[in-house]
Amino acid sequence: MTHIAELAGKDSLSRRYFMEQTAKLSLGVGLSVPFLPKTFLAQDGAKAKNLIYIYLSGGMTHLDTFDPKRGDVMGPTEAIDSKVDNMKFGNLLPGLASQADKLCVINSMSSINGAHEQGQYIMRTGYNKRATIVHPTMGPFLEKLLGKQGEILPDSVVVGRSTSNAGYLNPALAPLPIGDPSGGVPNTTVSVENERFDRRMEMAQKLGNKFIEKFKYNGPQSYVEYYKQANTLLKSSELDAFDISGESNSGDYGSSRLGQGCLLARKLVENGVRTVEVISGGFDMHSDLQTSIGTKLPEVDAAVSTLLKDLEERGLLDSTIVAIGTEFGRTPDINVNSGRDHYPAAYSCVLAGGGIKGGTVYGSTDGSGKKVKSDPMRPEDFVATIGYGMGVDTKEKIYSPTQRPFTFGNDGKPVTKLFG
Amino acid sequence: MKNSTRTVIRGIFIALFALGLAPFAEARTWTSTEGKPLQAIFLGIDGANYKFKTANGTEITVPKDRFIKADQEAAERLNKIGDDSYTLASARKLDLLLATQLKKQGFASFNKPLPDDLFVRRVYLDIIGRIPTRDEFIEFAESAREDKRAALIDELLLRPGYSSHMFNYFADMFRLHATDFNNGVRMDPYVQWWRDQLALNTPYDEIVSEMITAQGNVGQTPASGFLLRDTGMEFDAFANFGQVMLGIDISCAQCHDHPFDEWTQIDFYKMAAFFGNTQREARIAGGSMMSANYANMPNAPENWIGEMISFAEANKGINMKNPDNSRQFRYYLRALGWNVTDNENMETKLPHDFRGSGGKPNDVVDPRTLVGKAAKTGGKTRRQGLAEWLTAPENPRFAIVIANRMWQRAFGRAMMIPVNDFNDDQIAKASQPEALKFVTREMIRVGYDLREFMRILYNTRAYQSISTAEEPDWADDYYFSGPILRRMRAEQAWDSLMLLSSGPEIDEKKGADGSFYKALLDVDFKTISNEAIWERYELWKSNRGNRMGNAMIAEAGVLEPVYFSDNELRASELPQPYLPGSLLDTFGQSDRIITDDHNFDGSVPQVLALMNGSVTSQMTGISSKIVNDLEELDGPGDQVRGVFFTLLNRYPDDEELKIGMTMIEDYGDDGISDLAWSLMNSPEFLFIQ
Repeated sequence: MTHIAELAGKDSLSRRYFMEQTAKLSLGVGLSVPFLPKTFLAQDGAKAKNLIYIYLSGGMTHLDTFDPKRGDVMGPTEAIDSKVDNMKFGNLLPGLASQADKLCVINSMSSINGAHEQGQYIMRTGYNKRATIVHPTMGPFLEKLLGKQGEILPDSVVVGRSTSNAGYLNPALAPLPIGDPSGGVPNTTVSVENERFDRRMEMAQKLGNKFIEKFKYNGPQSYVEYYKQANTLLKSSELDAFDISGESNSGDYGSSRLGQGCLLARKLVENGVRTVEVISGGFDMHSDLQTSIGTKLPEVDAAVSTLLKDLEERGLLDSTIVAIGTEFGRTPDINVNSGRDHYPAAYSCVLAGGGIKGGTVYGSTDGSGKKVKSDPMRPEDFVATIGYGMGVDTKEKIYSPTQRPFTFGNDGKPVTKLFG
Repeated sequence: MKNSTRTVIRGIFIALFALGLAPFAEARTWTSTEGKPLQAIFLGIDGANYKFKTANGTEITVPKDRFIKADQEAAERLNKIGDDSYTLASARKLDLLLATQLKKQGFASFNKPLPDDLFVRRVYLDIIGRIPTRDEFIEFAESAREDKRAALIDELLLRPGYSSHMFNYFADMFRLHATDFNNGVRMDPYVQWWRDQLALNTPYDEIVSEMITAQGNVGQTPASGFLLRDTGMEFDAFANFGQVMLGIDISCAQCHDHPFDEWTQIDFYKMAAFFGNTQREARIAGGSMMSANYANMPNAPENWIGEMISFAEANKGINMKNPDNSRQFRYYLRALGWNVTDNENMETKLPHDFRGSGGKPNDVVDPRTLVGKAAKTGGKTRRQGLAEWLTAPENPRFAIVIANRMWQRAFGRAMMIPVNDFNDDQIAKASQPEALKFVTREMIRVGYDLREFMRILYNTRAYQSISTAEEPDWADDYYFSGPILRRMRAEQAWDSLMLLSSGPEIDEKKGADGSFYKALLDVDFKTISNEAIWERYELWKSNRGNRMGNAMIAEAGVLEPVYFSDNELRASELPQPYLPGSLLDTFGQSDRIITDDHNFDGSVPQVLALMNGSVTSQMTGISSKIVNDLEELDGPGDQVRGVFFTLLNRYPDDEELKIGMTMIEDYGDDGISDLAWSLMNSPEFLFIQ
């Protein structure tokens, strides 16, 4: 293999190639080659190293959570005071209300996508969904721009999904998908005793050598690396990062998938995974709002408030952005089924940790939560703001294999004043 | 079908002269039981006789039993797939063109010929999409027949595995997927239509024409799925159309003139205007509560939805004002009305921010072809005009695009890269310009019969060469001294693993065919009663969700579903695309959002699946049929060879034999299972060399 120093000295194109080659060598992605130091300076105010993106799929109601109002539009929910003056929350979020000083609530989100798939797509990538290209989500994009953070563990993990891809970026940057947060990494249980397993591996290698030597192609060679890594991984303690069975505060997070997903996210971030996306469904509350929020909001409250506390206690909150995103809000008017329908014109998202100024509210809606009144923020701006917080240059162009240029957040405007 | 085959054959006689093919030189020499030779082109079996055409052009008839047994076998095969004199003549001509250019470029000739064992593995994987069984391997290896390679190629091309594997390619290219459309709209009948066309070996130009000109919903006209698939994303759909049909990526020109190519923004919209009056989906005018105001549908009363709603409100307790009461009913009506129609009131307009020359924002544009001659649209719909223009022999792009793609399937690398975007300059500078022209003409000569086209390629010396040892850079010219080394597609890996766990019976097993969903939508509005539509709605409602895709019609004409399980099916018979997180997904099966998106890269999750996954455990476990059969073989030598035949389909060399035998001598039956595990987990297993 070419020496690292030699490659590092070459022009940026070969450096990029080198990064990709390095990234290929690991669990979904990289082992054994520590990453090159970043060459550009992080932007002012940006101090986050990690990102936990909690994605509430279905369209979280803004009125019952972070943008409560007065009167009929509130339906079953009442506004409660929080730790911070002038910040009010829905009454099912007492845990978050007690930690309002850590949160920056954005009440001026606004999107043009009223359908779930399209709305989710732009909230996770900053781009509109197209039939001619697939855009990367934030995890792989961050790895592309910042390099890989850890050695054995992947740079990004998505919890609550059984598949993921890196869009037009190198497939090796795809987040490792974990369907069930308590299930660990698939296919990591070895069915024979260690000695026999080693014997098998050794023979596979012996019998594979000739083929590897016969063909000078990247493909077979990369599989040799993947086998090495898989073998190392199976024997390393790093896999324990995916095991949340022994965590003492598991109960505080709640037994929901969201709660357990947030616990796993904390553990992964602690072990060097840069980006963890935790996806939780059930927010598409077209009917019987009262019952639905009665189930889902306490899950969110327990999961996120425990996560914030846990990160703070471990000294990780300052370096970890915790974001809550969703594709749209829900209609202020309660429908005939006592539910709320899709409402992209105004909705709420939340940012915390990672240099974000807590105890703040950005943007506002009118008295009924129907129209954005000040500081509108589009999905592109939301993504770009997170990118800014993670220290990326949101103007840097990345080219797809067909030479189309893309940026982190699709030229969205980072709201830098959210950072303190 | 019969007629078009005859036309093709007539075409062959005319075209062969022009191409300089000499089929008679390649015609098989038939041998009588008395040892008399007859060199002739085989025309077919007629009762107890064989019909031939001799070199002087006369047709003769000879009784079957006059020929030796090997020739009788050959006649049975050729009767099904067609005589191979033209095929072999074409393969020789192609070899000559390739070899001439190789020499010109300073290469001695092709790579060394592929040995029998590597040949058998390669053609099984390339043609029927899976590795051979141990028995299939041995049968070929032990055959002494002179024509055994051509015979195996023909035999495999006639197996169901051929269309299964071809389906995987087109499913990727045409982004076939059955679910995730608007609230219960599905595309299962379209997916099944593709399976059927490939099984029937329908000429590719006919497949394409049918897709472009389809009218109706996906139950009435399954080919309409091609256009319905991208409802709501019409310009993106058109950009895909350009890539897939013309090999031109004009997606940039949607927003601005193409930066590198000659296409301008106005070109994009004029070409897109061929679909400008194509209406996809019966749209609901009037907001979320969905009034009765749907658009038109072929052969349906103008207000069929309004009538159906009145009927349901009057007789079935439906209340359209109550979303919970009427939601499923509305979804069914929408699925039923999710159709392709020509709507003369629709037109293509330039975008409000149009920046190019040749038009102003919001101008209405008429269709104009991007390349070649103008399309003739007189007396036809725009789409009919487009389909005829596209598939006409003089279209400069259609044949070359599909020929180049099929070439890529055989050689692992296309002549024109990437297959969905290459321009005339690149064609002029092709590494093998004469061969490229030749295969393009051959595609037209065989009438877009892809099986016959692949048969030509597989019979070339170029294809039957060992793979090039060093990976050619994609940016460098490659002269095709042989195929390149390829990793199996996800579907080849899946089908091979299925073979190992379940045996060759998997080739014949069918999955759900979308017939239940098709029947629910396939209504003839002229004859059907409202009551019968309501009956379909109720079946729809009670079978919603994922179950619908696995439901099939129990008997023709009886609307009763039977459910299919996904167990032990080949990739092509599974729901399309298969489940996220499945082995197919892990090995790179496309999620079918964009075209040609299969991923051939490795990953740690892939190797973990091969090391510790369920198929491996089953195959190397104590109740594995494969391991049990190998245990029955006579001694460690045969056992080692048996494991190699089963997994890598080749002979072990002396050193490998020794390593394997020591393993079995030391560890007994455990050694066999360990050896099998090791071969499955050596990188060679996943590659086609």
